[in-house]
Amino acid sequence: MTWLDHPGRFFFFTGKGGVGKTSLACATAVKLADAGKHVLLVSTDPASNLSQVFGVSIGSSKPRQIPGVPNLCALNIDPEAAAKSYREKIIDPVRESMPGKVVRDMEEQLSGACTTEIAAFDEFTTLLTDDEHTCGYDHIIFDTAPTGHTLRLMKLPAAWSSFIESNESGASCLGPLAGLEKQKERYAEAVRVLADAEQTRLVLVTRPEQAALREADRTRGELESLGVNNQWLVINGMMPESESDDPLAQAMRQRGKDAVDAMPKGLQSQSRDTVDLQGHNLLGVDALRALLDPEQAEQTEAGEAAPPSVDVPSLSALVDEIASQGNGLVMVMGKGGVGKTTIAAAVAVELAARGEPVHLTTTDPAAHVEQLIDEAPENLQVDRIDPEAETQGYSEQVMATKGRDLDEEGRKVLEEDLRSPCTEEVAVFHAFSRVIREASKKFVVVDTAPTGHTLLLLDATGSYHREVMRNVGDKSGKITTPMMRLQDPKQTKMLLVTLPETTPVLEAAQLQDDLRRAGVEPWAWVINASLAAAGPTDPLLVQRAAGEVDQIESVKRDHAERIAIVPWQMDEPVGIDHLRAIARPSERTEASATG
Amino acid sequence: MMTRIDVFDPPMCCSTGVCGTDVDPQLSRFAADLDWLAQQGVSVRRYNLAQEPQAFMANEQVQAVVNETDGAGLPVIVVNGRMMSQGVYLTREQLVSLVQSAGGAESSTSVMPNAAKQTSGCCGPEGCC
Repeated sequence: MTWLDHPGRFFFFTGKGGVGKTSLACATAVKLADAGKHVLLVSTDPASNLSQVFGVSIGSSKPRQIPGVPNLCALNIDPEAAAKSYREKIIDPVRESMPGKVVRDMEEQLSGACTTEIAAFDEFTTLLTDDEHTCGYDHIIFDTAPTGHTLRLMKLPAAWSSFIESNESGASCLGPLAGLEKQKERYAEAVRVLADAEQTRLVLVTRPEQAALREADRTRGELESLGVNNQWLVINGMMPESESDDPLAQAMRQRGKDAVDAMPKGLQSQSRDTVDLQGHNLLGVDALRALLDPEQAEQTEAGEAAPPSVDVPSLSALVDEIASQGNGLVMVMGKGGVGKTTIAAAVAVELAARGEPVHLTTTDPAAHVEQLIDEAPENLQVDRIDPEAETQGYSEQVMATKGRDLDEEGRKVLEEDLRSPCTEEVAVFHAFSRVIREASKKFVVVDTAPTGHTLLLLDATGSYHREVMRNVGDKSGKITTPMMRLQDPKQTKMLLVTLPETTPVLEAAQLQDDLRRAGVEPWAWVINASLAAAGPTDPLLVQRAAGEVDQIESVKRDHAERIAIVPWQMDEPVGIDHLRAIARPSERTEASATG
Repeated sequence: MMTRIDVFDPPMCCSTGVCGTDVDPQLSRFAADLDWLAQQGVSVRRYNLAQEPQAFMANEQVQAVVNETDGAGLPVIVVNGRMMSQGVYLTREQLVSLVQSAGGAESSTSVMPNAAKQTSGCCGPEGCC
């Protein structure tokens, strides 16, 4: 575990939801505290489960001492709450005196991902630079890190001067920090500390999967270009050697090795550690100690010999219901890495197999759709849009129009705004809207969807359009905005894809809440890559499968109107036959038994 | 006296407007026109409803527009304290003519009242509004 050697004062753990950032951050904190250091562990993850990990309630106002680890304190900061209090500070004084619609518009404009991201950064800086509160600690460990977008904004003088100093022409994504200019120096200091290799170590956490490693490499490059050079790569969840002859275990081991062997060049030169896949979520101090000190680990209890049985319909059953409609739009959404494209392709292939005319459009950067195009039956049209090209086209258009008359500094701010996560979402949504219109005649399946926030912003223009139509005397009431189409379950079915693990389920639930704000109700949830549904025999995988049950139950009980489950696949689902098989797992079992 | 333009914008996520809606070329053209006016010596100030709502409340005319139109009457353009337009981003020509009429007859021959002579209107040299 070399990331623990010669540690600096600050650790940041970064990576996608569900890769194990929190577990590794907690284990690191416990290890350093056990070695006699005074450690503060900080989570700024809105979906933080620190309290659950340590079994004590951990709040945001005062560090909580962790029982059993005398030198360790923990703090849970919720940037969503910080963003909310910022919104209230702006809106409350005028809430009573403005029309309700206007207040709602204002709230929406301040509800984007940027507001939360900046609020989180604001929280980081206090702890990075405020000696008064942190001087007693030898180490401060964060289970998240600011994004490149945030850091670049902080470094752009114009992003500050144009809004915060003169407050005249522009806010950019820093807008939510209006009136905080006194913070400017503290922010500059925080950015400096982040880039100081003596003080700060950034740990990139990833799974041994191709897509996850590509994503980690992007983060690496982005932060490196900002001077954050002291980076460590931790590949978490390698399937360990075992004596079982479970083909699932062998496939998982092989896939992990292959992905690591083929990882992007930029990562290869990185200092690196690997951590074995664990049988269950790490709860409690003992489990955390064992993670970094395997000799302490208790043997996997040979408790459950058989995987749990899960009573959840297959994807094929959902498709039956979709097909009965005759046409419509199917949008498959979810956080990165949950398998949206695979699920969208499987739904399209299933619909086509029922004789329906289908148009599948995906954002898949891999060749995996290409093969589908070669094999597709006549009633299945497949194409793809390239999110990077769309975003670039959109950005160029904006620079050519809005950027045209700006000065150099102003153009830099605009360019950075265009690198915000919203831009890609908007650009891709524009590209998709070209095919969406076809959905009144056939099935259109797309592997992405806008968030509720973007929908509400887009509708701000849509409502203006409606107003105009009303004024010109259109009484037919037939005007349909894109938003109205997405809100109507007869026309649009949203499938929310997740994995049967705590953080991905929480993140999917957040996406669902966000859509609901826009009046869009996800039609069904699809739980992808389930070990429980794949029927493992290897003891470690059986244990993991058993751990999925709570999450599956929680999706059924608390979140989903309809639900389908797709088993973990031994190999990348490519081609018509394999895609059909993931929707009908029972048939696959028979097929693989004979083949 | 220096001519002053106050623009009360609808709520926007970011001033560049790239997050969310279509690129509105009007908005960028308007921003460029305001920059140009500022270079000519006009004092220009913009308020975003999502960030400085109190400025809207502080101006009775603007507040009335917001309340009566449910926000659809934004942007409101105020020249030297007088509301001159609502619901539209004026063109450069329209802005120039507003500034000229605010500047009074003496300055109407020059494009821009750089050296303002006009002293009527609600704004004194300190810029009360």
